[in-house]
Order: sequence, then structure tokens, then C-alpha cells
Amino acid sequence: MRKIKHVVRTSTVAPVAGMLLASVAACSSASSSPVTQPAASSATGGTLTVAGELGPTTLNPETTNQADCDFEELAYEPLIVRLNDGGLAPGLATSWHYAGSGNTTFVLNLRGGVKFSDGTIMTAQDVVNDFEYVVKAAGQMAPFFAGDSFTVTGPLQVTITAKIPNPDFPFLLTQDYNAGDIISPGGLKDTAALGTKTFGAGPYELDAAETVSGSTYTYTPNPYYYDKPAVHWAKVVIKVMSSAQAILDALKTGEVNLSEGDASTLKAAEQAGLTVTQAPLIWEGVDLADRNGKMVKALASVQVRQALNYDTDRTALVSALFAGVGTPTEQVTVPGGYGYLASLNTVYPYDPAKAKQLLAAAGYPHGFTMSMVTADYDEENLLAQALKQEWAQIGVTVNIIDDANPDAYAQAFASGTVPSFIATYGQQPIPVEGPGLFLPSAIFNPYHTASPALQSLYDQDITASGAAATTLDQKVESYLVDNAWFVPVVASGLPWYATTNITGTAVTATAPLVELYQVEPARS
Amino acid sequence: MIRIAARWLVSSVALLFAVTALTFVLASLAPGSAARAVLGANTSVTPQQYAQVKRQLGLDKPLPVQYWDWLSHLLHGSLGNDLFSGQPITAALGTRIGASLSLIVATIVVSGVAGVAFGTVSAVRGGLTGRILDALTVFGFALPSFWLGLILIDVLAVQARLFPTTGYAALGSDPGQWLRSIVLPVLTLSAGTTAAIARQTRDSMLQVFGRDFITALRSRGLPLRVIVGKHALRNAAIPVVTTLGVVFIGLLGGTVLVEQVFAIPGLGEAAVTATSSHDLPMIEGIAFYFAILVVIVNLLVDISYSVLNPRVRMAP
Repeated sequence: MRKIKHVVRTSTVAPVAGMLLASVAACSSASSSPVTQPAASSATGGTLTVAGELGPTTLNPETTNQADCDFEELAYEPLIVRLNDGGLAPGLATSWHYAGSGNTTFVLNLRGGVKFSDGTIMTAQDVVNDFEYVVKAAGQMAPFFAGDSFTVTGPLQVTITAKIPNPDFPFLLTQDYNAGDIISPGGLKDTAALGTKTFGAGPYELDAAETVSGSTYTYTPNPYYYDKPAVHWAKVVIKVMSSAQAILDALKTGEVNLSEGDASTLKAAEQAGLTVTQAPLIWEGVDLADRNGKMVKALASVQVRQALNYDTDRTALVSALFAGVGTPTEQVTVPGGYGYLASLNTVYPYDPAKAKQLLAAAGYPHGFTMSMVTADYDEENLLAQALKQEWAQIGVTVNIIDDANPDAYAQAFASGTVPSFIATYGQQPIPVEGPGLFLPSAIFNPYHTASPALQSLYDQDITASGAAATTLDQKVESYLVDNAWFVPVVASGLPWYATTNITGTAVTATAPLVELYQVEPARS
Repeated sequence: MIRIAARWLVSSVALLFAVTALTFVLASLAPGSAARAVLGANTSVTPQQYAQVKRQLGLDKPLPVQYWDWLSHLLHGSLGNDLFSGQPITAALGTRIGASLSLIVATIVVSGVAGVAFGTVSAVRGGLTGRILDALTVFGFALPSFWLGLILIDVLAVQARLFPTTGYAALGSDPGQWLRSIVLPVLTLSAGTTAAIARQTRDSMLQVFGRDFITALRSRGLPLRVIVGKHALRNAAIPVVTTLGVVFIGLLGGTVLVEQVFAIPGLGEAAVTATSSHDLPMIEGIAFYFAILVVIVNLLVDISYSVLNPRVRMAP
């Protein structure tokens, strides 16, 4: 759907796992209160129609873009369910735990008697086969499982032995990522069919006859679903509609019940009486990638990078470009997100004089010149233009490369040939974020900047848990802010528009995307 | 007759070849690659993985070889598979061609009837009525289709609730719903095409009206409606039919935008999606379908010439 897709677009173009919406509930699955005994069907609604601006390239859960998972989540139940409050609940797995210390051995106990939509019973071997396919399919989730081994350790038990510590298996196996969406043996036998058909154990299955790939996706209840009370609709239709205005019009007339929105239609949606909800989702700003000073020597100076942060009037920029959907931010997370510290948003108050002082102290009293690549969607290019003007006042000349083609944009910034670029990134657990955003191998770190201090914090973080992990998350975030690796500008949310005859569209900081599973008919 | 058929066949095959080859080259020149799009958001893509995906998709071969592979599959009745979903192109397009043809054929019918009527009235009556109709045709030409579509949605769908704002219902599943779903897009597409046909009809009718046989018919006291309906229109029809053919072909492109505005799952919408994701088999499939339609329309136009003017049948 649009905003999700927008994030995907950046990631698609950027092949960036970093763009994974991590801890956000891009895709949901399963009910919030799984039951163990099958019950009678309780589909109480007629048809739920959801609209989004872009469709998925495939329905294969292991090769689809994570941000497109709305299109497969209805048919694939995850092993673990992430609840709206951020907590975890049983899905196809009834319990899970790390064995021993070090976050390398993860044990899953599976639900018994679960059937896929083709009627076959799920076994532990099916789950192992699915994990192996995750790695083989080389999709977005593959890097998080590459090198791990998967073993059947009981009739209904599977153990993952990780090559390197991974404290986030519980999160990676929720609906927010796709690795926990288990595919039936039939699907794994015919992987070519996974693109256009569904083979899951979720509450619905794709009705291929009523589906036009890339345009309309129709789902009907899975007769074998283990938690029938969680099936709220006789039919769910997801329509791809390329115009935000068309979607708004369809919502006004009731042809569509639910959709993502954007800043351009926010006021109109509120005026039309639609239910509008939103929560922080992504941060957007500049990645000062050439921190080694390979192309622009000045960027190797932390004072220079800090100067750029001081000379950024975030309040004005957010007011002008992200009114109603964003708040100013100086950190690479969103309020309530992983590693977030309110105090980190007061490190760089807008102060051009201070910026000039820092530039002079770094040996650049008259500024310097650098190029910056930007995509041209969702105000990114406008943000680049605005920053160019602001930074000009301290002598920094920015040559903007505005890439209309998303692939070209991704290639430009990921190839390490442009010293800075506009970045959009979804919040996610730090251990997951590192390989995408700031570790030397990360795509958002194209000059491979290495910091022993940051690496040390990261290495401690991936083996920690509980409060210790939270503290380490915040230390990582503090390091990135203090050393000005980025110039974050806005933490923006994704507005959702819903007609008043449905409920379950509330979102929170830990679950900023509406879970289609939890949308129900409003009770009159 | 055999010579004419052979000539038509050769020119049609040449057209299909030229269109698909040119499409192949142009699509391949576009920045970005399908391999990159297939790999999606995988952060740890190595050059080896990228090369592997390119190899799997056949994108590592020289362009002429890729085109030859595509042609070979075509000769075996296959347009290949969608690079992303793996769905056969014929199946993917089969679900979409009905929507596009519904829009195009309905637009041709509406604009043909309305355009001929407006053009005839304008030619016959002249004066103020003629000038008003002329002005309306110019207005029709000038209206941007996407703008008109949005206005129609707002007035007739959102405000009046007479039609759905977007979407398409298949004719086979619900004829009534089908009709409702195509009214607004067809009205949108018809504004410009009606103007084109009206203009052509008017000019042709004025030419025919200047001929001696019309004067002779008038002098015999035949009623105007008989002169127009039985004699003038038939003589003025060939340029109008030519225009209809051109309009039909133009609509193949025109539906792209309108399908986007009305969220109609047609070939145009698929073309936009396929192009942005570098799905070459899909792009080629759509170009092939469009070219086939152009060939068929040209054939129908040629046949109509011989029906309307027996002298064409006699021509060597």
C-alpha cells in the first residue's frame, strides 16, 4: 500500500533491508488472542475493501518486499504474533525461548493440529523446510538467517542455531517480517506458483479467480483456519489505486473502507468525516555517507557534520513539508521507537552562528561543496532543496542530483559515488538496524565507515536482553547523534483513513500500521 | 484478392516485428534493471547474487539474443512469464484485456454516434448552431482527460452518487455493474474523440454537399433527411471511418491515463506497472497485444472501405 510501498520503493531501489519497517506492524496476521481449539466460523462482516497505491510484485512471502506483506499476510499465519501494544503472542508457535546464553540457540514449540489452506497438517519438518527456503529464496529476510541451522528437535519443536548472536528471532518471526509466515509443503514443492497463489495457514486464502494481479486481490476465509473467531469478513478485497485523490473519493462514497493516506489528503479526509489515525513510522533526513572524507574531505570532520545539524531548521522544514504527519527529530528513530531518547532531540538546536563557528574550527570558514542525491517522491526532493538553501547561508554548497528513477537513485547512493543522500528509514530493533544502517557492510553506509566504539556497542547489544539491551540501544542512538553520522529532520507518521463502519484501525507507536486481521465491522 | 491478402499479411507481420523489436530496445535502454527490482530490499546482495539473478532471468545475454529467445517462445505460443509473480503473460493480460476493450469499444461507439451526429448537424444547419457545435468540438479537444475524469468523479460519483468513483466490473459477472463502471471513463475518453469525429464528419459532409449530385437530389425535391441519411452520409463516411480507426489506435494509449485515474485493471495500467519495474516480458506482451489490435483495426477499416465504396473493391 502506498506509504508502506513508498518505504519499499526506497528499499527496493536501494535493496535495503534497513528499510524494513521493523518493529512496525506492516503486516499482521493472526488474532491478538489465539485460541487452541477450532471454533465455528464467525465471519460477521460482508466485504472489507482496502485500497493502496501500489501492488506487490509477488505474493511469495519469502521474496516479496516486506512492506508489501499486506497482500500475503491474510493467507499466511506467522509463528509469533506481534500485538498492537508491541507484545508478542502465540501464532503457529505456542511458546519460544533462547536456550543458554548468548542469543544463539532459539527454540520454538509449535501448535498442534494446524492445517494449511490445502488441508495438509503442519509438521515441524515443514517449518524447517520453510526456514531453509527463506535462506534459499534470497529475499529480504535471508540475511538474518544465512548461515543458521534449523533442526527438528521434537514432534512439534524446531530449534534455530544461529551463526552469530541474534536477539531478535522473536521479532523476525512475527507478521512484521515474513520469515515466520510458514508455507505449506505443496507451496514449497511448486515455488513458481507462490507468486500468484497462496499456500499458508492464515485466516484467508487468495481467490485466484477474483484476483487481477497488480490490481485487485480477493481473499476468502480459509476453511481450515485454527482460530475461526478471528475471521471477521466473508471477503477481503485489496484494490490497487494509483491516485491518492481517487482513494479518498472511494472512501467518501464507501466503495473503500480503509486506506493509507498522506499529507496531501489529510485535511480533506478529516473534513469528510473519515476516521483518521496515525503514529510515528519513519525518520527522514540526510545520510552524510562520506564520513571517511573520500570524496568530500570536510565530511570526515565531526565538527563539520555537527555544523550541518546545527544549521538545519527542523521546525520550519517540518511545518512547511510535513504538516500534520511529522515532528522534528535529531535521531534516527521515532518517538517511542528503539533507542529513542527525548534528550537527543535537543542536541542540535537551530543555530547558524554556532554552525559557522564549528566550520571555522574545522578549517572550513568559507564552507565547502558537496553533492547530494535524492529521490523525487514524498517530499524528499523538496527537503533536499530546502536544505540546500539553509546550508548555503553557512557557505556549504549542495549540488542536488534529483533522480526520478528509483533504481538510479538507489544505485547512486549505494555505490558510494555520492557523498550524501536523502534517506528514509523505518524504525527497527538496533540489532536488525545495524546491518542495514550503520555497520560497515550496511547499504546506508556505502563508504563503509567503521567505528570500533560503535561496533563494540552493537556487539554487546546483540547478546544482551531486557533493560540492558534497551540501554545499549540508546547508547547506539546517542553515538550516531553525537557523531552526527546523519542529519535527521523529521519523524513522520502514516495516516490511515477508515470509514466509520469499521473498527480496529487504531495505531500506536509500537504498531503504527493498521493490522488488516484486526479490522472488524463496527457494532451498531 | 489473394495478392491483397498476402500484402496485408506481410505488412502486418512486419508491423508486429517492428513494434516488438523497438519496444524491446527502448525498454532495455531504460535505467535500472529487473534483476535489481527482483532482489528488492535485500541489503546483503552481493555482485555474485546480482549476477545470478540476471542469469536466471536471462538478462545476461546480449540484447539480440534475448529478443530472439522471446520471438522463439512467441512462435511456440508463449509470451513468457511475469518476472516477479511467475504468472504466464497471456494469463495476466487475459484478465485485463476485457477492461481495456470495454473502454475502447464503448468510447468508439459513443464518440462515433455523437461525433457523426454533431458533425452532420453542424454541416447541415450551419449558422449559430454550427458555430456552437464547432466551439464545443474545440473545447472537447482542449480538455485534459485526467482533469475531466477527476471532475466527473467529483460531480457524478462523490456528490451525486450516480456511478462508482473507481473500479471495473466484468461484463460477464454483472452487466449492470459493468455499465455503471465504464460510464465515467468512457465519458472522459469520449470528449476528445467525439470532437475529432465531429470535425471530420462536418468537413466531409460540407464537401459532399458541394457536389453536383446533391444539388440534383435537392432539385428533385427530396427531403433533407433523406438526402443526408441516404446519400450524403454514405459518401462522407470513408474519411470518418478512417478517423475512427485512428481514434481507436489512439485510445490504446489514451486509456493508460484514464485507467490510472479510475483504477481500472486494464492493459494500460499493466503497462505502467511493468515499465516501472522493468518487467520486460510483460512490456513485450502488452506491446504485442496492442500491435495485434492495431492490425485488426486496420483490417476492419480496409474492409469497411470496400463496403462503403464499391469502387475500392474493384481497385487492383
